[in-house]
Amino acid sequence: MGLGRVYKTRSETVTALDSVDLKIREGELFGVLGPNGAGKTTLIKILVTLLLPTSGTARVDGFDVVTEYRRLRPRISIVSGGENAGYGILKVREQLWMFSQFYGMPSGPARARIDELLERLGLADVANRQISGLSSGMRQKMNLVRGLMTDPRVLFLDEPTVALDVGAARDLRQEVGRWMEEDPTRTVILTTHYMQEADDLCDRIAIVNKGRIVIEGTPHSLKAEVQRDVVVDLQLEPGTPLLDRLREVEGVGAASVREEDGIDRFSLLLVDDGVLTNVISTVERSGRRVAGLAKRQPTLEDAFVKLVGRSMSEEEAN
Amino acid sequence: MVVAPAARTWTGFTTAVRLGWAVSSNWTRPALFVIYAVLRPISTALILVVMYNVITGGRGNARTYLSFLIIGTAFWAFVNEGVSEFAVGILEDRGRFKMLKYAYLAPLRFPIFLVGRASSKLTSAAASVLIVLVVATVGLRLPISPLEVNYGLLAIACLLAFIAVMAFSIALSMILLAGRDAYGYGEIMAQVLYLFSGAIFPIAVLPGPLAFLASLSPLAYWLELTRRAILHGRVYEMFPNLSDGEVLLRLALATAGTVALGYLTYLWADRRARRKGYIDMDANF
Repeated sequence: MGLGRVYKTRSETVTALDSVDLKIREGELFGVLGPNGAGKTTLIKILVTLLLPTSGTARVDGFDVVTEYRRLRPRISIVSGGENAGYGILKVREQLWMFSQFYGMPSGPARARIDELLERLGLADVANRQISGLSSGMRQKMNLVRGLMTDPRVLFLDEPTVALDVGAARDLRQEVGRWMEEDPTRTVILTTHYMQEADDLCDRIAIVNKGRIVIEGTPHSLKAEVQRDVVVDLQLEPGTPLLDRLREVEGVGAASVREEDGIDRFSLLLVDDGVLTNVISTVERSGRRVAGLAKRQPTLEDAFVKLVGRSMSEEEAN
Repeated sequence: MVVAPAARTWTGFTTAVRLGWAVSSNWTRPALFVIYAVLRPISTALILVVMYNVITGGRGNARTYLSFLIIGTAFWAFVNEGVSEFAVGILEDRGRFKMLKYAYLAPLRFPIFLVGRASSKLTSAAASVLIVLVVATVGLRLPISPLEVNYGLLAIACLLAFIAVMAFSIALSMILLAGRDAYGYGEIMAQVLYLFSGAIFPIAVLPGPLAFLASLSPLAYWLELTRRAILHGRVYEMFPNLSDGEVLLRLALATAGTVALGYLTYLWADRRARRKGYIDMDANF
């Protein structure tokens, strides 16, 4: 409640979290979605007791993260993405077993659990391989095994699929889903900046931007925020910048753009179909040529753009 | 199946020992590692012996000073390896292996993990003490007789010193963790202690305030008792007016002080590291 975190350096003060209020239910797969630098990892670090908040309080599984961290730690686990973690000299099974011992697991059941998870994640063949010889995808799967093997009450996944290829990311997501199905009281808190990942996996999502919760709800309810809008994909051949002018067109609720294969792909949220005429006029006046135009169903990305005013990539660049 | 807390702690500790051994001894082939572990302490001791002989020219009570020097240098390996390995281990786990936060968050008490992680180097330090003493006895005719060693005194002194070094090293590691770029400071600290603990010269030769500071350290009393236990009466004594019991009492008091100070420092540094977010910081290594 009212969770805040401020980083102070000699030259500046940065507010990473600003009075965050959040309630996550048992058995939920809760997503924290936002651009890089939004405060997602700071939130996770506080919840797993790696970082102290500068204001507010937080409880995980009933325990205060500041005063009861010793009792909380055996009940949680964290898996972070994109960090290439591991003692390279150790073998996969060896490192996992060592961490099971740091968690006080009986050796025999720990080995059985490790082998089971390695099998499920397709790592059985590399169980006796040195960690230094693993690909980043394999390393991340191994880290997921470490996170799951202790059967935590709450599992924190901090950008777990960042920098992974499509197949490895899919395997990870599948395993997380299966792990939750095994016990409906297990809770997962996932941070991601992949809209599709949040949409596919999460029961509920909080969109975070600049340290604040912008909105919270199910993926369906968030998309419903833009359900009444007309969502249009407008493709333009290269030319003069047009994003700000399109945003100024009356009836355009939000606009974002990304460049792909030399084409600028605009996503526009319009209050109704009639606005499209004004949009096309604006494009024609700019001298740019239309390469494609299509209406589509709203996505979480559209909801983000509408709520924040800019796309996630624009926020990251900013 | 439920595992008793004490058994869990012991298993966690022995696993950390295993981890430390695997990580710190695997940088080369086993044969090379053994050669390194043997040659390093011998060469360090011999360099000092040669320097000492050149400077003194074998005059006066040179033999008692030589014994003082060799025993001090041999046992110093414990402090050097302990202090620097703790520091290297914690910074390596954070900066290179990125595994520190996972060990830190595990239910095993973090200081126990740190002690286990550094224990492999303490074991090799114990081996190097033996090697240097054997070489000194055989090669330099140091008057050590295994039958005349006061093993009880030696064991108590080493146990107390071990506790003090652990407390100091854990606190130092956490201080380094609570800083940004701390690599190398562990070894520097070991070298500073080297000068202020009576390992190579009596602390009385230090300037007044420094000699007073050195007299608060348990290391000077430990090395004094070690020398007395091995070569009583045949080695230069730093505290000739104190009996063995009095030196032991001072060692016990200084150790208790170090443990108390180390514990408070650990709590402070741990909180600072969590406040600053340094436990999983991307740090240069």
